[in-house]
Amino acid sequence: MITKKILIVDDDEYLLLGLAAKLKASGYAVVSAVDAVAAVAVARREVPDLIILDLGLPAGDGLLVLERLRALTDLVATPVIVLSARDPANNEQRALKAGAVAFFQKPPDSREFLTAIRRALGEEVALSQFLRT
Amino acid sequence: MIPQEKRTLDGNRHDPRIEESYSDPAGGMNRIAKVDFSREERSELLNVKAWSPMLETYGLTMKVAVALTDVQGTLLGKVHCPQPIWTFVRSTLVGKETGCPFCLSPPSPCAAVMNALRTAMPAIARDRAGLAHVAIPLSLGKHRLGAIIAGQVFDQYPESLLLERAAKTFGVSAQLLWRLASKQRPISRSALQQAGDLLCALGQAFIRQRYGAILETQMARTNLRFRLLVEGVTDYALFTTDHLGRVTSWNVGAERMLGYPEADILGQHFSRMFTSEDIQNGAPEKQLGNASREGRTEDEGWRLRRNQTQFWANVIITPLAEEANSHRGFAVVMQNATDRREAAIELETVRQERMNLQEQFLSHVSHELRTPLTAIYFFITNLLEGVAGDLTSSQRENLEFSLENVKQLKDMVSDLLDVSRIETLKLTVEPQCMSVPSLIAEVLRTCLANARLKNISLVADTTEGLPSAWADRARMRQVLVNLIDNGIRFTPDNGTITVQGGVFAEDSGFLYLSVTDTGCGIRPEDHPMVFDRLAQVKTLTESSRKGLGLGLFISKELISQQGGRIWVESQVGRGSTFYFTVPIFSLAKVCGSIFTPANLAAGCVTLLSIDVPTIDSSIPAQDPTGIRKVLERCILHGQDLLLPPMTDADMIETFFIIACADRFGAEAITKRLRRDLDSPNLKAAIFITTLQLSVNDQPWEERIAEVTTQIDKLVQKHLVEREILK
Repeated sequence: MITKKILIVDDDEYLLLGLAAKLKASGYAVVSAVDAVAAVAVARREVPDLIILDLGLPAGDGLLVLERLRALTDLVATPVIVLSARDPANNEQRALKAGAVAFFQKPPDSREFLTAIRRALGEEVALSQFLRT
Repeated sequence: MIPQEKRTLDGNRHDPRIEESYSDPAGGMNRIAKVDFSREERSELLNVKAWSPMLETYGLTMKVAVALTDVQGTLLGKVHCPQPIWTFVRSTLVGKETGCPFCLSPPSPCAAVMNALRTAMPAIARDRAGLAHVAIPLSLGKHRLGAIIAGQVFDQYPESLLLERAAKTFGVSAQLLWRLASKQRPISRSALQQAGDLLCALGQAFIRQRYGAILETQMARTNLRFRLLVEGVTDYALFTTDHLGRVTSWNVGAERMLGYPEADILGQHFSRMFTSEDIQNGAPEKQLGNASREGRTEDEGWRLRRNQTQFWANVIITPLAEEANSHRGFAVVMQNATDRREAAIELETVRQERMNLQEQFLSHVSHELRTPLTAIYFFITNLLEGVAGDLTSSQRENLEFSLENVKQLKDMVSDLLDVSRIETLKLTVEPQCMSVPSLIAEVLRTCLANARLKNISLVADTTEGLPSAWADRARMRQVLVNLIDNGIRFTPDNGTITVQGGVFAEDSGFLYLSVTDTGCGIRPEDHPMVFDRLAQVKTLTESSRKGLGLGLFISKELISQQGGRIWVESQVGRGSTFYFTVPIFSLAKVCGSIFTPANLAAGCVTLLSIDVPTIDSSIPAQDPTGIRKVLERCILHGQDLLLPPMTDADMIETFFIIACADRFGAEAITKRLRRDLDSPNLKAAIFITTLQLSVNDQPWEERIAEVTTQIDKLVQKHLVEREILK
C-alpha cells in the first residue's frame, strides 16, 4: 500500500509537531508549511493527497491559499480540511464554498478529525481503526 | 322718654319677594354667601376714604346728613353734611355719645340700623328731638357688612312741645333750638322714603363695586405672582392654548426656546412647532386628544424653532379644566432635552464601542488560546493513543486528568466569546423543528465519558410521542451539555443524573427539559444568583470549583432568546433539578401567516414534499442551506411557505412547501423547482398532495385547524416513510 502524503499548513510549530506525530502514527507521510506562500509552494512540489489548512496564516489568508490551490491543475481535486481557531458560525460555510471538504474548529475531537481525514482520502473507515483509537 | 318710632318704609316687611330682591339685588350674588370675608376684606369693603366722595355728594344733593356705620351702628369716619340743629343738640353730648351718631339719646345700638340689617330693607327712626333718620343696610349676599344712615331732618313740621322737652333733656336753650328748627325745612315722609330707596340702591351698587375692586386686586396680585413664576422660568417653555390648540399665553422660556416673541405666536396653532412629518401623522391633535382623555400626556420628539432648526423636546400637556366635562384649553410645559438625548446616545455609543472592543479582545484571546491548546491536546491524545509507546496505568490516569482539563479550558474559551456576544447582542438563535428525545440521547452519549470518570449513571426519561420543539438545536445542545456537566461536577462519585423531557404542565405550548442530580444542592437564598454572570455559589468545595461560572448565565440567555425560561429547584444535601422550557413547534402558528381568506379563496391547499438524494458533504453546492435558498426562490412569498427543517441536523434531505394553490399552481411551482434544483448529480423527487378545505358553513378557524391537522399528518407520515426507506 502506498503511503499517503498529508500537508499540514499552520504557523504554530508545536501544533505542527503534535499533529504530525499523530498522523505519522496513523500511517501517513507528513509535510508542512508555516505560511500562505510556503503552503502553495510546498503543495506544488510535494503534490500531497490531503491538505490540512489553517485560515489565519502569515502572508495571506487560508481562504486565498485554497483559491490558489483550486487554480492549479495538479491540486484541483486535492481534498482540503480546514482546521482553524475561527468561529465556525462565520467561517464554516465560506470555507466549504471555497472548496474545503470539512471545517474543524481548534481543538478538534481527535477521533472525529481522523475519521474526516480518512473519509476525505477515500479510505474505508474500518471498525478496527476505531477500536485502536 | 320720647318713644321711638320704628317703621319700615312700606310697612310690609314680610313680603318675601321684596326681601329677596334686597338680599340678592343683582341676582347671582348669592354665590358670595359661600365666601367668608376676612377682617381685612370687611374693612376694605367699608373703607371710609372710598365711601366719602359718594356720601358727600349724596348729602349735598339731597340736603341730608349722611354717614357710614358698621353693623353695630357705630360711626365710621365722619357725618357728612350735618344739619345745624343736630350739631347744636349734639354739642351738648360731649363725653356721652351714643353708638348711633344720629340718635340723640340711647338706647344703643340704633334701632333703625338694627331693623335695617335684620330685614335687609331701609328702616326709619325718629330721635328725641323729632329728627328722623333712615338706615340703609349694606350687605353682600347673606353677609351684613354695615349700614348708611341719612337724615337729621324733620319729616313733619317740628312740634314745639317736643322741642321744648328736648331742650330740657339736652340742657340747651329752647328758643335757640326752635329758631334753628324753624329754619330747617321739613322733608315729607314719602320724600324721605324715596331718598332712602335711592341711597339703598347707591349703597348696594357701591359695595358691589368695592367688592369687585377687591377681587380684581386679588386677581391681579395672583396674576402677577403667576406671571412672576412663569416668567422666572427660563429653562422651560410654558404656554397655554385654547381648546383647539391656539396659543393663548407665552412665557420668556418659550420665547428663548422656540424663538417666537409673545406677540408673534399668540393666536397661532401650536402645531407650527411640530415637524411636517408629525403634522402629517396628526401628532398635535392626537396629543391634545390624549391629554383630554388621560388628564395628561407626555411626549418626546423633535420640535421646530422659528428659524426651522430642530431640537429634541420633552413635552407635557395638561388640560385646563373648567367644568367636569369641558375644558377651556391646555397648559404645555416643554423642556429642551437635546443635550440629555445626545448624552444618552453618546453614552450608549461609548458602551457599544467598549463592548465591541471587549468582544474583539475576547475573540482575539480565544483565537490565540485555541492554537496552543490544540497543540497540547494533540500531544496528550498522541500519548494516550500510544504514539510514544505503551503507558503505565498511573501515566494513563495522569494524562486523562490533563485531557479533562484541556477540554475544560476549551469550553471556557467558548464561553468567554458567548458572554461577550450576549453583551453586544450578537448572540443569535435560529429555531428549527427538532426532536427533544433524540437530542437528549445524543447529549447523553457525549457526556457519558465524563460521567464514567466519577462512576455517575446518566438516565434519560422522556414521555412517548413528544411533539417537536421549535428551538435552535445547537444551542439547546449547548444548554443541556452545560447542565449535565454542571451536574456531574457537583455530584459525588456513584451518583445519578436524570434528564427528563415532556410537555410543560403549566403551559401546554411549551416542552420542559430537566436535569436532576444527586449532588450537594443549592441553598434557597442562592437560587436567584446561580444564573448571574460569574456567579459561583460560595459554599462549593474548592475541588468542585471549576470553570468561569458563565455556563448558567449563557444558558439563561440562550433559553430566553428562544422564548423559554430556566429555573432551579434544590434541597441542600439532596441535589438540584434545573428546568428549562422551549416552545412546541406548531404548524398552525407557522401557517397562520399564509392561511388568510384571500389566499384560500380557491378552497384548497397543496403540500409539496421534496426529497433530495442523500447529500454528499464533499459537494458543497448541495449543502442544505444552499438547497433551502433555491427553494425559497421558487415560491411565492406571502402565499407559499417553505417549512423549517423538520428532521434532525444529520437527516436533511426532505423539504416541505405549503402552497395556497390548487394542483395547477403546484405544477407551476414544481416546474420552477425542477428548473433550479435538478442538476446532473442531483435529482429531487417531488410529491404533491392537494387538500380541499371543508364546506363553507363551518367557522373559518375550524376549517383552518382541520386542514392544518391534515398537513401535519401528511408531513409526519412522509417523514416516517423516509426513515423506513433508509
